[in-house]
Amino acid sequence: MADSGTAAEGKAAPALAGGEAVGDELKDDTPGVSGEVMLVNTDSFEECNHDLDTQFSGGEDGPDSPLRKVQREQENELVGGMGNVSLAEEEGKQGSEGSGEAVAAAAADDSEEECVDEEYLHSPEWIQKEKHVFILSESGKPIYTRYGKEDRLVTLFGLMQALVSFVADSEDVIRCIVAGDHKFVFLVKSPMILVGVSHSVASIPQLIMQLTYVHNQIVSVLTGSALTRMFEKRRNYDFRHLLGGTERLLDNLLNMLDSHPSFLLGGVQCLPLATATRDTITQTIIQYCSKIKNLVFGLIICQNQLISLVRMKKFLLHPADLHLLFNLVNATESLKTSENWMPICLPKFDPNGYLYGHVSYLADDCEACLLLLSVDREQFFTLSEAKQKIVDRLRRHHCLEGINTAIRTSAYTVGAVGAPELRHFLYKSKTTAQFTCPEYTAPYNTPEQQRQLFGLYQQLHHRVHSVSRPLKMVYMVMDTHTLLGWVTKEFELYATLEPLVTKHNAIVYINKLLRWIKNEENKLFILSSPTF
Amino acid sequence: MDRKMYRKVDMKVVMLGQMSCGKTSLVERFIYKRFNSQYQATIGAAFGACCVTVQGCEVCVGLWDTAGSERYNAMSPLYYRGAKAAVICYDITDDESVERAKFWANEIQLHEEECRVYLCGTKLDLVLQDPKARQVDLHDMLDYAETINGRLFETSSKTGENVQELFNTIVQDYVGDPKTDLSAPQDSSFRLHTQRIREKCC
Ligand SMILES: Nc1nc2c(ncn2[C@@H]2O[C@H](COP(=O)(O)OP(=O)(O)OP(=O)(O)O)[C@@H](O)[C@H]2O)c(=O)[nH]1
Ligand SMILES: [Mg+2]
Repeated sequence: MADSGTAAEGKAAPALAGGEAVGDELKDDTPGVSGEVMLVNTDSFEECNHDLDTQFSGGEDGPDSPLRKVQREQENELVGGMGNVSLAEEEGKQGSEGSGEAVAAAAADDSEEECVDEEYLHSPEWIQKEKHVFILSESGKPIYTRYGKEDRLVTLFGLMQALVSFVADSEDVIRCIVAGDHKFVFLVKSPMILVGVSHSVASIPQLIMQLTYVHNQIVSVLTGSALTRMFEKRRNYDFRHLLGGTERLLDNLLNMLDSHPSFLLGGVQCLPLATATRDTITQTIIQYCSKIKNLVFGLIICQNQLISLVRMKKFLLHPADLHLLFNLVNATESLKTSENWMPICLPKFDPNGYLYGHVSYLADDCEACLLLLSVDREQFFTLSEAKQKIVDRLRRHHCLEGINTAIRTSAYTVGAVGAPELRHFLYKSKTTAQFTCPEYTAPYNTPEQQRQLFGLYQQLHHRVHSVSRPLKMVYMVMDTHTLLGWVTKEFELYATLEPLVTKHNAIVYINKLLRWIKNEENKLFILSSPTF
Repeated sequence: MDRKMYRKVDMKVVMLGQMSCGKTSLVERFIYKRFNSQYQATIGAAFGACCVTVQGCEVCVGLWDTAGSERYNAMSPLYYRGAKAAVICYDITDDESVERAKFWANEIQLHEEECRVYLCGTKLDLVLQDPKARQVDLHDMLDYAETINGRLFETSSKTGENVQELFNTIVQDYVGDPKTDLSAPQDSSFRLHTQRIREKCC
């Protein structure tokens, strides 16, 4: 394996000539660059990683934006209400999901109760899972495990709690333990502890970022202030009562984290759509929503891709929050058949308060989902009416067909680029926090091969974002593939090529790729930033 | 398909009860005549509507299917405020679910005088299949229903048993009530679109 670090200096084609200067030269034709921002653009992974767990105010102009104030009033009410949940009543009546099947299962559990932890710890299948995630309270109470049942892992949870508090005793925070090819990462987020155990190629910062996402998901369901409040009331509180039904969201999120590049890149993928269609959709949302007070975001998404996003002036949406919305829609099949009204906390927007979401699919014959997020929880019927008008207009203008066609046909393969030895790539436009990538094609046909490719991207990503030695460019020639990672001010590019490609050709292909993306940029990215 | 039709919701009904006791399934059976054995906890609440004709009167029922999880407690007044009927569900194969049903019955009586209470024991099919599965005694619940001046049904969303009867009764009681003025729906903000529902039900 020839690892040439910052390779491809000077001599190559102008576009790929080396570092910052190139970025400047390229500026005008760098694909997907836009001065109009609708998503918070997180600059690099480290920042993103740091940024993920610091609160983002949502406003363009500081934390004390008008909306927060509006919100604050309403929140007091709700959070106050949360406090009223009668704790005593809940003690000791856990897991009462009493469907027929569940009852039967519970009966079976009883008989096996004695062989708690050991049973899992002796199960090779359980142990060999690539990535475990555990969540416990600071006092060691089980909250969630990705595999198995959390209340059967009491000893293990106790051990994790002991490790955390042992290190905390010396006024330090445990971050990770590496044992062989296993990494144990810890994220202590009072009142919770999150633990990841992985033997995948994901790096420690990447794993911590994943745990941060998991934590954000929980905050999204409960709000940060409710979490703290519950805990102040009773240190031994069993969170599972409040999290009931959330396991599904966590499970789904963890599966996406292991396979979807959006989290790794801190970016959002848009459904490729003709500009005219996208504009009509956006205009329609604006037309029927701009007069609705307190509406903060209106967006249409499908299959983890963004179709349109309209926002209240002054407020940006953070990609990490958008990912949680994707996850919510993705994991909740039942949204397809009903009109829903739900409290949603967007942790980067405001970790301590809820927005209220009118969530519904556009129509029986259209797979896209409309989310209208408001600070006013009394607004359901207003939003319901707006939704109907939006759908009617989209139908009149054939946008539903447009969306359906795009869902069926807009994915492209790397063949479209016309760079024969290029196998696959991820391209992130940093200014817009959006990315694009082709569908998997040979040699990435099976889920296993795709997983391996994702692992390569994780490694490449780790190399260019390494804290001790960040690189602008990585070029690695290996037995089975050639890898290229390239980071400039405007973009991040990760690509795999044939193993025998010459460096010269690789450069030609990459430049061709950049030109191709530039040509397609209006379809692949949303470069404007519409507001109500 | 493009035919637009807004009509008023004549009657607001709210579904309440412990997590996974079968509220969503009951609504699905009533509106869409179908059943799904896979459990997906409701998040927040889902709104649906269905028109029922009783005694020559067509009443459009707007149904709030709330989530059972206690983290949504603070939001529940939003859904039951102004409701004409509350369907308070418990799972007859799970005695713990009764506690929660009683909690809701109290809550409704306290805050919504106009709202009638319909207790609904769900998953009747499981008990018919295996009598030992029953954990909640029918007569106990009938007695309880009497004390709160409510009605009681036992239903199965899987087979559909008693589901239509439950909702027909709810609408009949409403229409038959001298206080009800059908010509002037209470709340004009309850406009909604029923085209989709019309195709699927009734
Ligand atoms: N056999 C049988 N199973 C039922 C019946 N009603 C509901 N279930 C099952 O019970 C589980 C929970 O049903 P849901 O209707 O989703 O419960 P819910 O009350 O809406 O739950 P939350 O949304 O969490 O409050 C599902 O697996 C259903 O299939 C029934 O009449 N018979
Ligand atoms: Mg439900």
